[in-house]
Amino acid sequence: MKTAVYFCTCSGNVTEKIDPEHVRQRLGELHEGVSFFEAGLLCSEEGRESLASDIAKNRPDRVVIAACSPREHEAEFMRALAAGGMNPYLMHMVNIREQVAWVTEDPAEASAKAARLISAGVARAALHEPLEKRELDVCPDAVVLGAGPAGLKAALLLAGAGRKVTLVEKSPLIGGMPVRYEELFPALECGPCMIEPLLGDVLHGELATNIELLTLSELTEVLGFYGNFSVKIKKRPRYADTEKCIGCAECVEACPVSAGNQYNYGMDERKAVYFPFPGALPNVPVLDEALCLRFSGGDCRLCADACPVPGAIDLDDREEIVGRKAGAVIVATGSGVYDCRGLPNLGYGEIAGVYTAPEFERLLAANGPTGGEIVGRDGRAPGSVAIIHCVGSMDKGHADYCSGICCRYALKFNHMLEKKLPGAKVYHFFRELAVPGKEDFALLKHARENPEALFIRYSDIRDLEIRDGGSGPSIIHRPGSGKSETFAAGMVVLCPAVVPAAGAGALAAMLDAPLDGFGFFEELHGRLDSAKSKMNGVYLAGACQAPMDIREAMSRGAAAAGCALSELVPGRMLDVSPLHGVVDAEKCSGCRVCVAVCPYKAISFDPELGAAEINPVLCRGCGTCAAACPLEAIGANHFTTGEILAEMEGALNG
Amino acid sequence: MADSGILAFEPKVVGFLCNWCSYAGADKAGAAQIPYPPNVNIIRVACTGRVDPVFILKAFEMGADGVLILACHPGDCHYKEGNLRAFQRHRILLRLLRDLGVEEERVRFDYVSAGEGDKFVKVISETVEALRNLGPMNGDSSKIHALSDDSHGGFHGQHIA
Repeated sequence: MKTAVYFCTCSGNVTEKIDPEHVRQRLGELHEGVSFFEAGLLCSEEGRESLASDIAKNRPDRVVIAACSPREHEAEFMRALAAGGMNPYLMHMVNIREQVAWVTEDPAEASAKAARLISAGVARAALHEPLEKRELDVCPDAVVLGAGPAGLKAALLLAGAGRKVTLVEKSPLIGGMPVRYEELFPALECGPCMIEPLLGDVLHGELATNIELLTLSELTEVLGFYGNFSVKIKKRPRYADTEKCIGCAECVEACPVSAGNQYNYGMDERKAVYFPFPGALPNVPVLDEALCLRFSGGDCRLCADACPVPGAIDLDDREEIVGRKAGAVIVATGSGVYDCRGLPNLGYGEIAGVYTAPEFERLLAANGPTGGEIVGRDGRAPGSVAIIHCVGSMDKGHADYCSGICCRYALKFNHMLEKKLPGAKVYHFFRELAVPGKEDFALLKHARENPEALFIRYSDIRDLEIRDGGSGPSIIHRPGSGKSETFAAGMVVLCPAVVPAAGAGALAAMLDAPLDGFGFFEELHGRLDSAKSKMNGVYLAGACQAPMDIREAMSRGAAAAGCALSELVPGRMLDVSPLHGVVDAEKCSGCRVCVAVCPYKAISFDPELGAAEINPVLCRGCGTCAAACPLEAIGANHFTTGEILAEMEGALNG
Repeated sequence: MADSGILAFEPKVVGFLCNWCSYAGADKAGAAQIPYPPNVNIIRVACTGRVDPVFILKAFEMGADGVLILACHPGDCHYKEGNLRAFQRHRILLRLLRDLGVEEERVRFDYVSAGEGDKFVKVISETVEALRNLGPMNGDSSKIHALSDDSHGGFHGQHIA
């Protein structure tokens, strides 16, 4: 075997400590077939070119580069090998700069250590295999889960790049939370006005042909992997044809039964066939089977009979399972809110005048249960409103983090109350105030200038007690020290913590994409790669990752789309790194220890083969399976047991 | 320099360093040009989760006096949890080595981040110093061989994942 050792002097820097002549001699004593070359600055363009041409000319079997840390130039040297016509994995780099020349005081010791390490590298390289990158066909299309701000943004950007998108939305309407809000922080922009054009683009715009919208739909199965997912989606019946329906609401008029409208948190009623609220898109009603007489043994078809468009109401609509192929799945399923009944001292669900912030948003909304009038369940406008911040947030037993958005919408409420109920007192009970953002601070400034607004800090939410004061709730604040104070308020608004969505766990299990300690989807890296989950090909966007505002959710949607666009390009194959685990099926006993230790779910057990199988697309080459295998049936490419032992022996005996 | 006895003894050490944190930490020490004893021969692995306890037994067989495993701090592992697997395996190996008469100080597990050049130098210096004081490896090499060689009845046969 011919091994070429290239010793880079690093422009003479390394040779101040290490004597290349000593290394050359030592290698000659320890190995056969080694040629030793000294180079001035191998990493320079010139150096790399001469390396490539030298390799092309001399055709060594293996190459050892003794230079700086492989973390610096290894990739460039590998390309130089490839340019010289040699498999780049037949090279090994030895770090004689950071690990020897720069840290060893005595030149004789430095030379001896360098010779040892290079000798170890020669021994290791002898065992290197000519590994090849594999290439896989990919499907460039995407499934986007959730049609809120993040999912909409991702879907539109992907569609704009010509990708086919299946946009899966659980509810009958799209737009997520902001379409339900009259005004948005920080600029008090109209929510529906802002987001409706986006919804129009998804439904009828130029890009709509690339987007298949499935409402009332949920993911039920995910097979395959990065680049080649095959998913199943359960589509619940709407009983109204979104193509034919003209949105006239004749069916709604005709329906004889009604119940509390969940989209207005039960603050008004809707029929069995209903629109969630005026302006909800798509502008097509949905039928509630639990309420409809037809589904409880009756034979009512008043809605269908009232419908002016034949077939627009379809009482024979049935649940469907649809299959789709995709290279990427973008999770944009949003979050939930803390259940305020978890803090009984706040009286939510017991005291009529206590509302949650999402409920209060609907009271503010012109398309809400009161037409935008701030009135209580008794129909009276409150003379004062208490806003309780941080409900469940920063609280060990509940949500042990700041939810980030609540202060800003609470200050938005302050602004809107000023306009809608002039002269009304606004009490802000807060634990911490967090108002980040270049535009957002103005909200706090404005609220501070409002003479009717009063800010009261509490240290523990349990110091607050809300009681029914007869004419409205009263808030008793009992600080740890000092005297109690009682505030009368016509209405109390609780700002609940933003918490993981109810279905996050089941979805995470289906996608094999883990959740973090709080129950939000875990990012591949919180700072470097926050648009990706820990599962290849599964991207994250919006409040499924953490509490966030609309601006951030939109940006995250764009980020996830960007990652998917960059990684899955039509016509380009998916590079699969050869640095992955390999199972020797003959040796494998099928104990499945490897399946349990793999952090990426890249290993499965093949019952037919009776052996474990590693999916190279999912494997990231950590090698923990190889270390765990009790029969040494798993190898780790480029970090094989043989290679590691050879390197070790070379270093100990060189 | 002393010319005989234990003071003249220079231990041979193998250090398994993960590519992402500890190897980068060693590079930091290099870039800062902080001198440390030349006894440790670094073997780069993608993750300390790759370090099969058998490698450590083999290192002793091949003449090492000590072994170092340097991993990412808990929570920083590039591969989620390989560092914690390495930690578990190290704990079990120590028990086994104790039965063979190998001192605990000969196999050190520690966490070194990409920024901790100083800590890397400290760990190396302490380890080399401890091994100098311990003297050459004197465990029962035939038993070590039995453990590292026979993968069915040896260490692998009884260790957990």
